[in-house]
Amino acid sequence: MRDPVAIIGVGQTTYRRRHVERNTAELVRDAVEAALTDAQIDSDAIGVIVGGVAPDALAGINHIDMASISRPGVPYFRVNTGGATGSSAFLAAMSWIASGRCDVALVVAVERMGYATTAQAVFNSIFDPIYEKDISISTISMIAMRATMLMQEYGYTTDHWASLAAKNSLASQNNDTLENPRLFDKAQVLASPILSWPIRTLEACPMSEGVCVAVLASEKFVGARRAAWVLGTGAFSDAYAMGDRIRRPEGSLVELLTLRRSAEKAYREAGIANPSEVIDCVEIQAPFASAEAMAYSALGLCEAKNGPAFLDRLLEGRTRALVNPSGGPQAANPVSATALIRIVECALQVRGLAGKRQLDGVRHAVATGQGGATQFSTAVVLGSNRP
Amino acid sequence: MQTPDPISKPITIAGHWNFEYRYFAGAVASRFFNEIKINRRIMGTRVPSTGRVLVPARSFCDASYERTGEWVEVGPEGTLDIFTIVAAKFPGLPDPPFVMGYVTLDGADTAVLNYVRGVDLTDIEAAGNKLMAKPRVRAIFSDVREGRITDFHFELIAPI
Repeated sequence: MRDPVAIIGVGQTTYRRRHVERNTAELVRDAVEAALTDAQIDSDAIGVIVGGVAPDALAGINHIDMASISRPGVPYFRVNTGGATGSSAFLAAMSWIASGRCDVALVVAVERMGYATTAQAVFNSIFDPIYEKDISISTISMIAMRATMLMQEYGYTTDHWASLAAKNSLASQNNDTLENPRLFDKAQVLASPILSWPIRTLEACPMSEGVCVAVLASEKFVGARRAAWVLGTGAFSDAYAMGDRIRRPEGSLVELLTLRRSAEKAYREAGIANPSEVIDCVEIQAPFASAEAMAYSALGLCEAKNGPAFLDRLLEGRTRALVNPSGGPQAANPVSATALIRIVECALQVRGLAGKRQLDGVRHAVATGQGGATQFSTAVVLGSNRP
Repeated sequence: MQTPDPISKPITIAGHWNFEYRYFAGAVASRFFNEIKINRRIMGTRVPSTGRVLVPARSFCDASYERTGEWVEVGPEGTLDIFTIVAAKFPGLPDPPFVMGYVTLDGADTAVLNYVRGVDLTDIEAAGNKLMAKPRVRAIFSDVREGRITDFHFELIAPI
């Protein structure tokens, strides 16, 4: 990339079922304050704020960002690409810096779904009211249908989904951004009630709220700050309905072309020819185990047909890249923020600031974002060294 | 244990967000539904350059942006490609258990979402494993049709 951009600060509230001590603007202020402190800057350095909020109806307020994110005297706009909202907002902020419009950008992603009493009915409303909404599809059934396709095409089993859910649950115990992370093993997942076959209750991400903030800066602004450098990025879109792209000539629904193309572009920009030999840490925005497994081959970590074998090695800790050391979205999935959290987790890893979940010697990390019915994907490669 | 101070007790205010709409289907989906309602047949639209038949009918190809041309009758039989059995109750959604899935109708290249009815769901795990075999299904039209996707559903052609 011509003009390198770096993450110089991050701030997060905790992630939990429902925040009861702070309203949305107060939560945002907490996370912004933490991010500015981490970045060692004052708020007057901020040249733009990009807000990330997904469906308004989860919070029950149209444009909750107007009341909670936008600040007097600073340019502001909002981004919404569903579950990819946080990473899309990150890319939008980055382009403001890369084009020379400002030196410092603040990305603020907010999820306030904890007070929604009919969340899956809200998720039903994101689907096409003409052809699909009447069939009561929701985000859970959407992902369950792709899980059956992965099982049909590649031989994944419900044991795989349960084992991966248990692995993420174990990892999440080290994540200090989570309040009360759930701990369960594979047998408990398999014994939990069926939610939407083949998905069981303990495999599903919990409802989660919280705010994630990243401070981005131009190369000349970074100075001596401890930075996570953006080495490459990619973002691609696809058609709205899953049935329209179930078997495209260029790839099936579960080959996840949007992420494959995003990752290929990000690796190319980062000068990474063989990601499986270079990437140390991966944060995948996948709220269910099957969605995580679908991303492995798209990220170039394995061939699609070898996905189950790669997953088996991952479960045994025998892969080079470690996936979701934070526990990932299966531990907490605040929808609007979750894709930015993946980037922030990678930034903490390459900056060596990830606390109990820090991996050894992370030089290259990749974070994904996934929105709509896999309609939107993003990939962001971060590195510890200035490009 | 200390008694909570009533002055600092969190307040939440009950609310609703139930606006009403009339969703306009557009020209192509209107014809798609009228064919079902009046003629009890499912029609798709063909992409001229590739010959792909899109069902549900689209006015243009989602991949190439090319306008679709002729209308083609498809089905009423097809293959249940992918599915799920919803087994939990979610507020605002129908009572479980039920099956939904994407079906590629004979003659179509894309898949349409609908309910699959008549599957024995006394053992959901067993039913799920059987439906993995991509069974053949047939579209069943309702006696009373109002011009929407629920004017038909799918049933298995042979019991599983």
